Amino acid sequence: MNILISNLPYLLKGAMITLALAGVIVTVGNLLGLLLGAVSALVGRLGQSLITLYIFVLRGIPVLVIMLLGYYMFPALGYRVPAYVAVATAHIVYVSAFVAEIVRSAINSVPTGQIAAARSLGMRRFGILREVLLPQATRIAIPPLLNNSLTAIKQTSYVSVVGVWELTYAAREVVERTLASFQIFLGVMAIYFLICYPLSLFARWCERRTTVIQ
Amino acid sequence: MDYLASVFAVWIRLYPSLMTGFAITVSLALAAVPLALAGGLVLLPLRMWSGRLVRALAGTYIEFMRNTPLLLQIYLIYFGLPLFGLFPSEFTCGVIGIALQHSAFLVEIYRGGIEAISQRQWEAARAIGMVRYTALRHIILPQAALRILGPIGNQLIILVKDTSLVSAIGVAELTMTGKVAIERLAATLEIFVAIGLLYLLLTSALGAGLRIIERRVSEWLG
Repeated sequence: MNILISNLPYLLKGAMITLALAGVIVTVGNLLGLLLGAVSALVGRLGQSLITLYIFVLRGIPVLVIMLLGYYMFPALGYRVPAYVAVATAHIVYVSAFVAEIVRSAINSVPTGQIAAARSLGMRRFGILREVLLPQATRIAIPPLLNNSLTAIKQTSYVSVVGVWELTYAAREVVERTLASFQIFLGVMAIYFLICYPLSLFARWCERRTTVIQ
Repeated sequence: MDYLASVFAVWIRLYPSLMTGFAITVSLALAAVPLALAGGLVLLPLRMWSGRLVRALAGTYIEFMRNTPLLLQIYLIYFGLPLFGLFPSEFTCGVIGIALQHSAFLVEIYRGGIEAISQRQWEAARAIGMVRYTALRHIILPQAALRILGPIGNQLIILVKDTSLVSAIGVAELTMTGKVAIERLAATLEIFVAIGLLYLLLTSALGAGLRIIERRVSEWLG
């Protein structure tokens, strides 16, 4: 316990980086995914197939592989960017595919009769999306989007494998120095738990509120 | 054409090592899936225990496993167990870590399925003279099983992808094999395409298999 306390300032510095990374990745990843999901309701068949392919490929591959891809591809293409940027970009792309799928299936869950009704009232595509589809889809999509963001926050720890310094990387450094693997890793897991658990309670609360009682 | 030829040259050269890595990824998944499914079944009665203390302890454990990164759980097992004089292999540590986290997710899926069955079904079963066990076995579980097959399948696909994390403790599975090859050959994109395709093959095959099982079970249960 002493070792954990004496190393806590260092670990908290890592936790700050984790929070910053998670904030950027969750925000941009969700925005990009929302955009893709909404666009797929507006575009024609070719655009839809492209978005479907994007979702299928990214969802079928481990996030760690995508992070490695980001880490190695930027230099391979001749761009010199910091590892943080490369790996965070890869993670954002990954998260966006999951968000796009959630948004798309939420939009699809609105009965098609409503689209026909809106069209017969003379509404255009964009108007239907904004006034009819999105308000109903949002209710359905919020709980899975929150759970997805929670997963993304936990996944930020994987960037340490690629060599980006954050909480998990800091934990490994401290363990190498002190050999107190059990205390340090459990302590760091507790930090992650404190970050994630409130969000997971909030997600469950939203879930309960939006489920229709049968 | 020259470029395509060079791509295939890289793939052919790497074929044996990628296949070895792929086989290890598949074995990790094959070992972890039954353990995770069974682990969830072990946790289920504890999570739904009638006594409050047991239920709270099980709930705390499950929430802790669900809300901490799998990578750290694997580290805790791999670097922590030696402190207690246990030295399991990297492969074993990875399988245990994956199975522990996924069993915590699976138990919540099982429980959600059981709790989603209306209370009236219980009452009706009891009213026609079924004891608790018979009602559970013949009325509740068949209905719950139908509901939870889809979510279980999704969880198992996540599990297969999570096997890539075991590369962090040095198991030479597919991700690790690819990483080593990239650092040696500098044929970055070609190698990523190969690894990506192998993972896609694995996850889509699993997805298709699970859908078939789901259809069969729903026909069988009516």
